[in-house]
Amino acid sequence: MPSRRRTLLKVIILGDSGVGKTSLMNQYVNKKFSNQYKATIGADFLTKEVEFEDRLFTLQIWDTAGQERFQSLGVAFYRGADCCVLVYDVNVQKSFDNLNNWREEFLIQASPSDPENFPFIVLGNKVDVDGGNSRVVSEKKARAWCASKGNIPYFETSAKEGINVEEAFQVIAKNALNSGEEEEIYLPDTIDVGSTSQQRASGCDC
Amino acid sequence: MHESDIHDLSDDADYAVASKQGSSSMTRADDSKRSSYSDLEDAEIVYLKDNVTIHPTQYAAERISGRLKLLKQGSSLFMTWMPYTGQSSNARLSGRDKNLYTIRALSFSDIQSIRRHTPTIGWQYVIVVSSVCAGLAFPPLYFYSGGVREFLATIKQHVLIVRSSEDANLFLVNNFQDPLQKTLSSLALPGSLANRTPSSSSSPSYGNLEDKYTSADGHLSSMQQNNKQRQKSHDPARDISIQVLEKFSLVTRFARETTSQLFRESLVDGHGPNEKRRTNWASKEHQSQEMTSNDVEIVPKKVPVPSDPLEFDKLSLVWGQPRQRPLGLQEWSTFLDSEGRIVDPNALKKRIFYGGVEHNLRKKVWTFLLGYYSYDSTYAEREYAVLVKKSEYETIKNQWQSISPEQAKRFTKFKERKGLIDKDVVRTDRSLPFYEGDDNPNVRLMHDILLTYSFYNFDLGYCQGMSDLLSPILFIMKDESEAFWCFVSLLERLGPNFNRDQSGMHSQLFALSKLVELLDSPLHNYFKQNDCLNYFFCFRWILIQFKREFEYEKTLRLWEVLWTHYPSEHLHLYVCIAILKRHRAEIMGEQMDFDTLLKFINELSGQIDLDPILRDAEALCVCAGENGAASIPPGTPPSLPIQDSSIYYQDDSLL
Ligand SMILES: Nc1nc2c(ncn2[C@@H]2O[C@H](COP(=O)(O)OP(=O)(O)OP(=O)(O)O)[C@@H](O)[C@H]2O)c(=O)[nH]1
Ligand SMILES: [Mg+2]
Repeated sequence: MPSRRRTLLKVIILGDSGVGKTSLMNQYVNKKFSNQYKATIGADFLTKEVEFEDRLFTLQIWDTAGQERFQSLGVAFYRGADCCVLVYDVNVQKSFDNLNNWREEFLIQASPSDPENFPFIVLGNKVDVDGGNSRVVSEKKARAWCASKGNIPYFETSAKEGINVEEAFQVIAKNALNSGEEEEIYLPDTIDVGSTSQQRASGCDC
Repeated sequence: MHESDIHDLSDDADYAVASKQGSSSMTRADDSKRSSYSDLEDAEIVYLKDNVTIHPTQYAAERISGRLKLLKQGSSLFMTWMPYTGQSSNARLSGRDKNLYTIRALSFSDIQSIRRHTPTIGWQYVIVVSSVCAGLAFPPLYFYSGGVREFLATIKQHVLIVRSSEDANLFLVNNFQDPLQKTLSSLALPGSLANRTPSSSSSPSYGNLEDKYTSADGHLSSMQQNNKQRQKSHDPARDISIQVLEKFSLVTRFARETTSQLFRESLVDGHGPNEKRRTNWASKEHQSQEMTSNDVEIVPKKVPVPSDPLEFDKLSLVWGQPRQRPLGLQEWSTFLDSEGRIVDPNALKKRIFYGGVEHNLRKKVWTFLLGYYSYDSTYAEREYAVLVKKSEYETIKNQWQSISPEQAKRFTKFKERKGLIDKDVVRTDRSLPFYEGDDNPNVRLMHDILLTYSFYNFDLGYCQGMSDLLSPILFIMKDESEAFWCFVSLLERLGPNFNRDQSGMHSQLFALSKLVELLDSPLHNYFKQNDCLNYFFCFRWILIQFKREFEYEKTLRLWEVLWTHYPSEHLHLYVCIAILKRHRAEIMGEQMDFDTLLKFINELSGQIDLDPILRDAEALCVCAGENGAASIPPGTPPSLPIQDSSIYYQDDSLL
């Protein structure tokens, strides 16, 4: 049973409205881009099987709404996450400035067991726009921020052109797998006394 | 709990099987099942009545006459009702229908109650409520040749039958302490409801139920009266669920679909009947398909089928009505007086509630439904208002149009708002011809209206979801200013959906959970146990009024129906419950957790059949009555906000 549970990795994508979260998810899972995705309301997820170290895992990728007003729903969606992907639009300063808010909001609402070491990944999306000419956030600045937050892995992507999307999600999957959170998943196997991990263990198992 | 239980017991499944196999399977004999029935062949006939008839629809031609018998075998009493063969003078009456209603060897140990009805006009009839399978009510049996008294007297000789102390026309079969009784009282109806006195049992007036809706946030006035008489008693006669079942059984065909949909509770909540009974029940309908001509009574003589328009009314006007055709131009004009006033707004709303509006008439009618025009305005007043409102719109629009690029640089809030709107309008209904293609002028209009709205209501600003609400309105109104003002009217009610603190959404989700608790406590308990009580999986439904759940045309229909506020301002919550109830067996049977449920609900998009859902929603709303209304806190959208100056207070540090 624990090994079966362990194969599900939950990933949450966060970031301002319109930075391309839905597009990135669809590019990764369905290998396609459409500029007709609707603004996300509430949340949804897609799943994808990934092979890693000769084992199969199911990545469950959660796409949430970027609008700040919907953030209070996060509580329900973030719990049990194994990795959090923070996305900004390299052409929109504000979306980069907000990364910190998204990160903190996530840590509060998901309350992972080991916040210091919880795996985040940052994606600077839409690098294709205007051949990079309308870009306002430099790679250097982004990397500096990531370094300051405990060496968060960073990728520059284009959901439209499919640039770096596969690569980013490989790292996302790997870090989700190695996340401290997974230990919780093993817990039902052992006798757990008074730890913080009841949440996951009490989830529906049938 | 096993999945197979759910399906075995599903009345719908039986229905589906019956309709699929039709008459072709009638000749196929299934020995094992037949033998269980033929056991009864040596039973003693203690009562026999001809011309006992079922009215599957309001059409006289579709009535099915048959023979009712009481059979005694050992110490057990059984009831059978067999339709006549050879009576089918009309093609509409299919073998399937006959099979569907045939009652084969219903044991009295499976009967909970029998109610006698004596309408002032028409025949006496009885409704039998089974104690198995969540208390399914059988269709009313009309005694065309009399004999109800004798029927009841005969039963009394053979089984324990008690006349209810509360209601002289209700006869309770079996022991009240029978655990099966619990099935029915646990039927998702809370104690307060369950302890209510039945309404007007001696002369049923269900036909008028719908006329008792109050116009605004209505509930039934008859329910209110009942409430005054509320007493504490455990007499099942007071169990509203019995009444509900009986009422549903009045429209027979509908009842067979809906009762099973709405009242499957006991199948999955663990209070279900024991295995043996379950098997009996499940096989009953199957047996009926295997009927051979031996089993069918031969028609004695011509059956009198007097037509009775009043009675038709009674049958068709029961809640959860079939949908009507949409309101057309000609009929519309009958609602207006010579100067253009709507003479009877409630009649209009009721008409629209049951049928919607023809597409080409929507532009006219929506302005009233949304409250942009008042019902008592005249043609002349409206013509004038259009002009005034147009210039008012232009004034507000000008407020942002006059912002220069230099000024915008120092106006972050404006830029961000505009940015959000820019991003959303190009993601809204672009596959629709009306909004399709590059540089589509309607997309531009949508942008302008939303930005103007964010100035008109600067505190609320722009929030995602608003473009979804505007899209159909612009599509119908086709005029910038009028679309804007209709949108303003809509947001008078739905604006709180977008409050920064999400208070409007939370109050609706809360009310939804209260209503599910009231109308389907097993489902409520399931959600509770599985950490789903926040109802976030219904968030999108409520935020944008199911806009993403139906095809465009169906959304227009649903919206105009909701906007009538006819049976309730909060019909949309009953729509949620109707959809959830349709899928409750899957949700609970597959043990969905929150994630799975959310995905499941998201994927229902485009799969929901609107008309049956509306009927169910109406029925649920009526069932819930004033207890439903009481579950919804005052000011819950789309009720107009309670007047409070602080309600729109928004933290200025946010966008
Ligand atoms: N040029 C370009 N456009 C993109 C890219 N990714 C997304 N877009 C466009 O940006 C807009 C927003 O993309 P979405 O994927 O819907 O954004 P989101 O982050 O899911 O937004 P919300 O659901 O509102 O939170 C759409 O019009 C996309 O077509 C990209 O890599 N390059
Ligand atoms: Mg999205």
